[in-house]
Amino acid sequence: MGKKKVSRRKFLIRGTLGTVGVLAVGAYLFRHPIRRSILSFANSADLSYIGETDDPILWFEITKDNLVLLHSPKVEMGQGTFTGLAQIAADELDVNMEQIRVVHAQTASGNIDGFSTGGSTSISSLWQPLRELAATMREMIKIEAAKKMGVDVGSLSTSQGSVSSGGNSMTYAEIADGVTEWEVPDTPQLKELKSYQFIGKPVPRVDLKEKVFGAPIFGMDAGMPDMLYGTVVRPSSIGARLGEVDASAAENMPGVVKVIREEDFVGVVAQSYPEAEKAKEAIKVNWITEKNWQTEDIEAMIQVGQGEPQTIQKEGKAKRILESSDQLISAEYSSPLGAHAQLEPNGALAYVDGDKVTVHISTQVIGLTRKEVADRLDLDPEQVNIIPTYLGGGFGRRLHTPHAVQAALMSKAVGKPVKYYFSRKEEFQHDMFRPPTHHLLKAVLGDDGLIQALEHNFSSGDVGFGSPLLPGIAEPILGADVGAIRGGFNQYGAIPNHRAVCWRVRLPFATSWWRSLGLLANTFAVESFIDELALKAGKDPVEFRLAQIQDDERGHRLKEVIKAAAEKAGWTDQVVNGKAMGFAASTDANTPCAQVAEVSIEGNEIKVHKVTCAIDPGMAVNPDQIRAQCEGSIIMGLSASMFERMQVENGELRPVIYGPYAMALMKHAPKEIEVVILENADKPGAVGEPPLGPIGAAIANAVFRLTGERLRSMPLALDQA
Amino acid sequence: MKISFKLNKSPQTVEVADGNTPLLWIIRDVLDLKGTKFGCGKAACGACTIHVNGEAVRSCSYAVKFAEGKEITTIEGLGSEANPHPVQQAWIEEVVPQCGYCQPGFMMAAAAMLEKIPQPTDEDIDNNIINICRCATYYRMRKAIYKAAELQKEAARKIP
Amino acid sequence: MRKYLASLTFLFVTILVLAMAYPIAESEYTPVPEEQEEAPLTDSEAFDQMMAVLTHKRCVNCHPSDNSPKQGEDSHPHRFGVLRGTDNHGMPAVRCNTCHQAENNSFSGVPGAPEWSLAPMSMQWEGLSRTEIAKSMLDRARNGNRSHEDIMHHLTEHELVLWAWEPGVDAEGRPREKPPVPKEAYITAVKAWFDSGAIIPEE
Repeated sequence: MGKKKVSRRKFLIRGTLGTVGVLAVGAYLFRHPIRRSILSFANSADLSYIGETDDPILWFEITKDNLVLLHSPKVEMGQGTFTGLAQIAADELDVNMEQIRVVHAQTASGNIDGFSTGGSTSISSLWQPLRELAATMREMIKIEAAKKMGVDVGSLSTSQGSVSSGGNSMTYAEIADGVTEWEVPDTPQLKELKSYQFIGKPVPRVDLKEKVFGAPIFGMDAGMPDMLYGTVVRPSSIGARLGEVDASAAENMPGVVKVIREEDFVGVVAQSYPEAEKAKEAIKVNWITEKNWQTEDIEAMIQVGQGEPQTIQKEGKAKRILESSDQLISAEYSSPLGAHAQLEPNGALAYVDGDKVTVHISTQVIGLTRKEVADRLDLDPEQVNIIPTYLGGGFGRRLHTPHAVQAALMSKAVGKPVKYYFSRKEEFQHDMFRPPTHHLLKAVLGDDGLIQALEHNFSSGDVGFGSPLLPGIAEPILGADVGAIRGGFNQYGAIPNHRAVCWRVRLPFATSWWRSLGLLANTFAVESFIDELALKAGKDPVEFRLAQIQDDERGHRLKEVIKAAAEKAGWTDQVVNGKAMGFAASTDANTPCAQVAEVSIEGNEIKVHKVTCAIDPGMAVNPDQIRAQCEGSIIMGLSASMFERMQVENGELRPVIYGPYAMALMKHAPKEIEVVILENADKPGAVGEPPLGPIGAAIANAVFRLTGERLRSMPLALDQA
Repeated sequence: MKISFKLNKSPQTVEVADGNTPLLWIIRDVLDLKGTKFGCGKAACGACTIHVNGEAVRSCSYAVKFAEGKEITTIEGLGSEANPHPVQQAWIEEVVPQCGYCQPGFMMAAAAMLEKIPQPTDEDIDNNIINICRCATYYRMRKAIYKAAELQKEAARKIP
Repeated sequence: MRKYLASLTFLFVTILVLAMAYPIAESEYTPVPEEQEEAPLTDSEAFDQMMAVLTHKRCVNCHPSDNSPKQGEDSHPHRFGVLRGTDNHGMPAVRCNTCHQAENNSFSGVPGAPEWSLAPMSMQWEGLSRTEIAKSMLDRARNGNRSHEDIMHHLTEHELVLWAWEPGVDAEGRPREKPPVPKEAYITAVKAWFDSGAIIPEE
């Protein structure tokens, strides 16, 4: 029955800009209050939902067959958000899981996410507002039910999508039928946590059947009548600018409808995708390049000491102690350039119909995608409807969508819907990569064998600063790149003197958000170094860590995951039957996670047999999906740590295809993964990224026990020398 | 040129200008079955895996002209909600998919393997399932393949 | 018709001019039978030309000495851990034909030819010298019990062998390297070598 007219009384007290969490770790050097709060977001991910939260009618729709549609402003990219949101809403709405469907909110409905789906914040940021909205919706239905049934609201109860009074009952659909003016009550009291039926249970994913039977749910599957296929000519070389173009041959090729020349790109529209691709190959472009970049150039740039430093954490007098000590321990680590390599290529289906634009797209930034299309076509945002689809992988790659603009321009040029997507080579060469990093760690141990002073200097290409999500104006306010510094902080609060400094390097190609951001590389460096220090101190690495964690809530949660992982894995620092364990822990977005990797060496290969993972996301909305995110993160992290590396060869980013871009396959995945979920907070926190942190260091630390060789650069390979 | 084949048991004839066009695009854009995915177009990722006369084939590298007279099966024809293939049933029971994009290719590869190796070992799985999943759902896929083998065995037992 | 006559006239004049420019005294002219135009291939030349092809990666990549096919100009092990399988046509669910069809595919850059598969284990050439390859080729215990005649036909007529001269483009649309000897010259050399008794030189 679609959208209803709602009385315009605002009823949710919660504003659109929520409070940002208070820091528990360290003292930061930022005087600027905005900088301080945004950096605390980087550390705690405690970001409230930014978007429309004052109108339940935007969020919920009740169909004639009594299904509740939840119009989600967050996108489903595999992280299981739709399932979690369905559980949260169902419990307050009093419907069962079969009675709720989650769909992507189109921007035309007005329910637009003001930031993005990312940063592992979807569930945590909507936990409170969505329950409030659902509870309000339920009360609205009861108010109408009271009118229709001629009874007092107080006598009504709700269950499984029906309202009952004595022996009478009506379905939500029956109640909603014909209602045009809804009365909106004050936000009702939320239910007790323990009374929830679905929250906290391992409910199966709500999108299982679509994904198992091959339903057309992805951006690339979208279609429209009279649709044509577009493609955009892209350079192979870094920094190449469009020069002279000769498209004469392409224009006469079979199936070609039009070659489109814009100031910043050349596109071809054809009757079919293969025809468009073949025509593209026939377009001769004189690309203008400034420099023939090589991997060595990039490696020379990514060095601690170069670029723009920003201290992100300081406690005590670490610098002075380290400079004056003759017992200094130091080590350097590095991580390579990495690709997203998500399976669904980027693209968009756009239709410019007069002054209205429709775009079907896999995007993590619905609002930004709309704004960019509207700006380029000189339209109001309201004239552009973004229809988000399921994402064939996100991982941060879809936080930037200039291809939506290109698809719209091509559609405008031919007057028909145009679908366009990247080739795989274009995906690899025009990714927004995970930047390479270099880390210099220094420490001094005290007489008690514990760390007296610790310093982490790290150099990184841009992450947040590389993104249109953060306008350039934010950079001086922020000081440090909120993405690059993830995981760069010291999490062992009892270390009396510590310091962390991020060196910003501007690379000649785009680097940006890659699942877990700086966490993967920073944790690899820091937690490998902690292992080195434990061995130097002659202490067990687990005990060594536990001894240096502060006594506060955050420290308590970190200790508990470390203990749980060690216990579940049967931790030992001895080599048993050719297998050794490696330990690592991280705290990301306020979620602590510890992992134990069980490793052997077979031939010249590192084989990871088992990973035990303990994680504390605060509160578990769906334990099975938390497990799934941990399993996936562990193997994706293993892949990035052991196999993946982009190179720069003669001005080109390479390789350009799976295979040469080596990734973990079935045979590399651990045969056993155990996940222990702890719940030591009163609300759900981050899950999708934190478990990517420890795995690289856990593997490297195990390899050291087996071989005595300390692997300090990713991808991990034996005999690094 | 005209090419005729059976797609998910129903006869199809398509008219193509270039017989070398990969079958993938005919299935997706002409016959409008979107379950078979484009991932790389280079037979590297396996997202476009289908069955041709029962064998696993990567359709991005399979000229449509070769389909003449063949039996083609895609994920839509492997099974249905009402009558799922054991692999699909197992995939649901083990809650395998995350983003889901690569999953049809994996399920087609797994079904082809179970046809040849009804009771696979870890090594069989490692050597025969070489598609790419970026969400890295490999751990659950392995469990689901074992479950599918069990379901298949049970189903075979029930048929007298 | 007029045009035709004009070109004929032009042709005639050209011949006349050429004839005047190169006066050859009849006495100096000795016709050379075509087959004697050049000295026939010596055994060693024939062997060199044949082996320049047979040791090329287009051949050796599919005659590996282990269970891993090789690929590319650098003969790296086939990506994704692809394996030989029991029948040299791959694993049960990853057949060679899962990706390789009867022709090269210019869209994907995947090469193809009829019977695309690995040579059997007994016919491994990878890492072998020229003479070792030749010995292996002639050894009935290793060559599938083939006579010299059979081998000669295989080497000069089999479509999978001759694919080496039509290797297509790779995944990025770049032409694959062909063997260093043209196909016709290679066929001539192989025939010549077998015709003169298939003598393997000392090396």
